Amino acid sequence: MNQTIQSAKSEKTATGMISLIQIELIKIRRSHIFWILLIPAVMMWIPSALNANVNFQMDDIGIMPEHNFFIQGFMGMAWFMIPAALIICTVLLNQTERTNKGFLKMLSLPVNTGKLCLAKFLVLLLLMAVQMMFTIIFYYAGALLASRLENYNFVLGFPYVAGGAAKIYLAIIPMAALFWMLAVLIQTPVFSAGICLASVVPSVLMVNTRLWPFYPMDYPFYMLMTEYGKQAEHIFSTEIQWMPMLPVAGAVTVLGLLVACVRFGKAETR
Amino acid sequence: MIFALELKKLRRTGFIPIFLGGGLTAAAVPLINTAVRTETFSGLPEEPFPILMDANWGLMAQLTILLVVCGCCLIYHTEYADRGALKMNTLPVCQTSLFFGKFSVTLLLTLLALSLQTASLIFSGIHWFPDKSLNLWEMIQDMGFEIIMLLPTLTLMLFTASLFQSMWLSLGTGVILTFLGSMIQEDHLILSLIPFAAPYRMLHAVSPADISSCILACIIQTFLFGIMEIIYLHTRRIFT
Repeated sequence: MNQTIQSAKSEKTATGMISLIQIELIKIRRSHIFWILLIPAVMMWIPSALNANVNFQMDDIGIMPEHNFFIQGFMGMAWFMIPAALIICTVLLNQTERTNKGFLKMLSLPVNTGKLCLAKFLVLLLLMAVQMMFTIIFYYAGALLASRLENYNFVLGFPYVAGGAAKIYLAIIPMAALFWMLAVLIQTPVFSAGICLASVVPSVLMVNTRLWPFYPMDYPFYMLMTEYGKQAEHIFSTEIQWMPMLPVAGAVTVLGLLVACVRFGKAETR
Repeated sequence: MIFALELKKLRRTGFIPIFLGGGLTAAAVPLINTAVRTETFSGLPEEPFPILMDANWGLMAQLTILLVVCGCCLIYHTEYADRGALKMNTLPVCQTSLFFGKFSVTLLLTLLALSLQTASLIFSGIHWFPDKSLNLWEMIQDMGFEIIMLLPTLTLMLFTASLFQSMWLSLGTGVILTFLGSMIQEDHLILSLIPFAAPYRMLHAVSPADISSCILACIIQTFLFGIMEIIYLHTRRIFT
């Protein structure tokens, strides 16, 4: 009896979360965010495919042309576009119900604000997964086009490509928690977006310093650079240094989410 | 009058702090970079300013472009957020002058951000290259050139911001254009002068024969985007 109540309870919380996520997805249905996620993924592979012949001039660092094509293409995504898309999605999720005070109505419902905040964060991760998927799909389109143009097989196996993309995706999560916390804490949306964008720009420099594990914005780029280091000689370290990174990443994620969930909706209900 | 009105509207929106903060962030780039790697730069044979610009301008330009993107989004978001734009439409104010009022305010504050960066470059030149003579006039010319290179980006971004009521769309478009602009190489002269790519050009890196055509191209583009906005304002009811 007790067990059934407990299982019913846990089922209720689980469905509660899922239905909250579903509601969030309905809210952003007409936001056109789909295009914001799709367009960069398409646009970035077009110049890569058209200039695919530069991949044959990499003999001095000993990288195969197909690996160079994959890494150079993903580089633009990992260092700028994916973090930037993340920032745009935080603005979307935070702003979508502000017109006509929809957010206040949401807060007046008997829904736990912390859970609401977590649901929005999970939708954020879902949107990023969608963009990652687009990037992989259009990588294959770009690689096929390049193969056709240069008469050389640029296409890499799916497990390798998906593995690389998955590593980048997992590396986004601490940054996502941090950006989500800033978006919740700072009331002016442009302010939080501006701070986040400004923090993304120097990540290329930070990844080359010893302080990189303490700067979550460079994790996705770091993941790609170690992959580069494995394929090419003397470019970057070949192994991922997990040690200072994992605890820092975990702490940033947990703390960011905790602060966001506690502070969510507080400014509006004051 | 509209200029004063626009400034007044922006008083509590954080518009001026965002430009001050963005300008200071970009100004910190040459200071940190030169302080950390003084030996690398002081050994180079060139003049101080070309060295500093080559080492830092890429990052500074990107920060400035993002600053302009954020500023343009904010200046129109304040109108759209609580349907202020609708109220503005009912007032006896010309819609076009509203756009150009916003344009002048944004341009003024971009000038402020760029002068902060110029000051920081001059300071780095004086402080870390003491035994080289500084050509201040060249530096000021270089920054004036950057302002002109930024004009099309600013106008196009303001036009985009006026198009979309939801901020994530204007911000998203701006960020995607920033991303695409940063990928364009400078070896195609015409391609490198489009908005979001032009601000990466530097006066000392452009060959003297091309300077006037660069400036002309940017001014023509600015007028073009201004005319696009006027056409949009007059044909708006067809789209919505």
